[in-house]
Amino acid sequence: MFQPLKPWQWALVSAAVVVAALIPAVTQNTYLLHVLILSMIFGIFALAWNLVTGFAGLKTFGHHAFFGIGAYVSALISINAGLSPWLTIWIAAIAATIAGIFVGVPILRIKSMPHVAIVTLGFAEIVRIVISNLQSITRGELGLWGIPPFTGFSIPGIGQVVFSPADKVPYYYLILILLALSTAVVALLMRSKTGLSIVAMRDAEDAAESLGVNLTWQKLLVFGVSAFLVGVAGAFYGHYIGILTPTAAVGVDLMILIIAMVLVGGLGTLSGPLIGALILTAAVELLRDLEDYRLLVYGAIIIVVTMFLPRGLASLGPMIVKRLRTRSPENS
Amino acid sequence: MTFSIFLEQIINGIVIGSMYALIGSGIALIYGTMRVLNLAHGEFYMLGGYFVFFLIVTYGVPAYLAIPVAVLLTFLLGAIIQRLTIFYLLSREGWAFSTIAVTLGLSIFLQNAALLLFGEQFQSVPYYLEGVIEFAGIRLPVQRLLIFVVALITIGAMTFVLKKTRLGWAIRATSQDLDASAVVGIPAQRIYMITFGLAAALGAVAAAMLAPIYAINPWSGLPILLKGFVVVILGGLGSFPGAIAGGLILGVVEAIGVQLTSSEWRDVIAFTLMILVVWIRPWGLFGQKP
Repeated sequence: MFQPLKPWQWALVSAAVVVAALIPAVTQNTYLLHVLILSMIFGIFALAWNLVTGFAGLKTFGHHAFFGIGAYVSALISINAGLSPWLTIWIAAIAATIAGIFVGVPILRIKSMPHVAIVTLGFAEIVRIVISNLQSITRGELGLWGIPPFTGFSIPGIGQVVFSPADKVPYYYLILILLALSTAVVALLMRSKTGLSIVAMRDAEDAAESLGVNLTWQKLLVFGVSAFLVGVAGAFYGHYIGILTPTAAVGVDLMILIIAMVLVGGLGTLSGPLIGALILTAAVELLRDLEDYRLLVYGAIIIVVTMFLPRGLASLGPMIVKRLRTRSPENS
Repeated sequence: MTFSIFLEQIINGIVIGSMYALIGSGIALIYGTMRVLNLAHGEFYMLGGYFVFFLIVTYGVPAYLAIPVAVLLTFLLGAIIQRLTIFYLLSREGWAFSTIAVTLGLSIFLQNAALLLFGEQFQSVPYYLEGVIEFAGIRLPVQRLLIFVVALITIGAMTFVLKKTRLGWAIRATSQDLDASAVVGIPAQRIYMITFGLAAALGAVAAAMLAPIYAINPWSGLPILLKGFVVVILGGLGSFPGAIAGGLILGVVEAIGVQLTSSEWRDVIAFTLMILVVWIRPWGLFGQKP
């Protein structure tokens, strides 16, 4: 991933962006766009979780806390202070970042993976219970509703852009832009010198430290960036869906969904989380009848993928190519 | 708050804490021997509870018979699940994370399998013992006393197994040095399987004892798993005595905390305590500094 992008990779990335951008021009099917919007929200989340877990090797299980913080902070500020969501999503993302650094600090002291997993999970539970208990502010499990949508604007030549539940197209383009920016941020970060030392830290923490990698700073940076992105995704989710409950926005189920997506797509790859988010979101929608079995299927997917395809679907392509290449000289 | 109510709360805290200790010691046992963080441990608790419920309520088996059978069933289930999943992962590269991931998958799978098989209604089991003991103004239901006694017996038995039996020596040997234990002929993989079963059985004991107090439902595993995590972090991950001490401490701290605030904040108190301990002593209150 640290080699310069090859021409065919550029072509693939450009093609994906063009296809994604053209979809609303081909079909304006509300349901299809809704599924794609959801998968892009989860895509940002998965991408950001993978940054911390897959690339930096900090196995956290509490990132849904940042999603919930992003969603609730943005919704509450826009409801109570009347600020535009265009502004509040960034305030929310910063709030999530601060929370991320707050959790990051105790984690810095621990090198044990189970401790990191447990502490982050515990932190997310605290956030969920606090949101659920502060009923005078968040309405608890009843759900926070009346969250204002993004304010509309007009583009010269195109006309008025209105964000409403009926018209998914503006939301689609907004989340597509946010996803593209998030992917670019993660890609640029990983391709920088910082990215190299992050991976070095994951693979051999002590060795990296002895070579002068500042572990504290790296971990905090990664945690902060990741929390920021998840916060943005959460804030967008709140304004898009229009109603928030602690279970939906900060529940463990959400984290499990994201973990399943990243594992299916490929932990520690750039495209894996996005592939996983698209496949699992779409699969769940296609298999609507499975509603009761949905989580059962997720559980089974996580088990099967971890046991039989530990590097995920994203590794499948290169693996096949490699197999074919190594086989052919032997055969000849 | 009068002094006797305060004392009653502390006793209740110790009783519930003894159950936390059983849960935590199961997690500690698995982590201590095979370095696996078992996210599915709560589901063994949940299934143990259902086994007890079906045996006692549906089939009318007397409790003193039903509980050992349920514990044995959970032991077998734990051992089989270990053989089918963890067994294959332990020798792989990156096993530390893949075992966490697989047990997470197992947890979701078992939870939802229980939901589909047993339904979403909350079940309960009648009290094993009726009556209340009054002593110096303190009221203690006999049922709660029974919980504590069973916890003491179980922990005592477990300590005996670990310290005095060949199985216990083998478990401790594999946890201390896998290669050396293989050299002297200990079948580590089978020991791991049995250890996993034993840990699951510890969860089932806790479930059986709490069944009359806490409702049995498909989701009852997660809260108890999180409590078990707090316990092992407090006591030092992988330390069996640490888990017991951690459980009792957590029980008492929660009881006092709930008296001072309200029961809605019980879990927040537990997790805050955990994060504080990690901040100050990451290796736990009773663990050795690495």
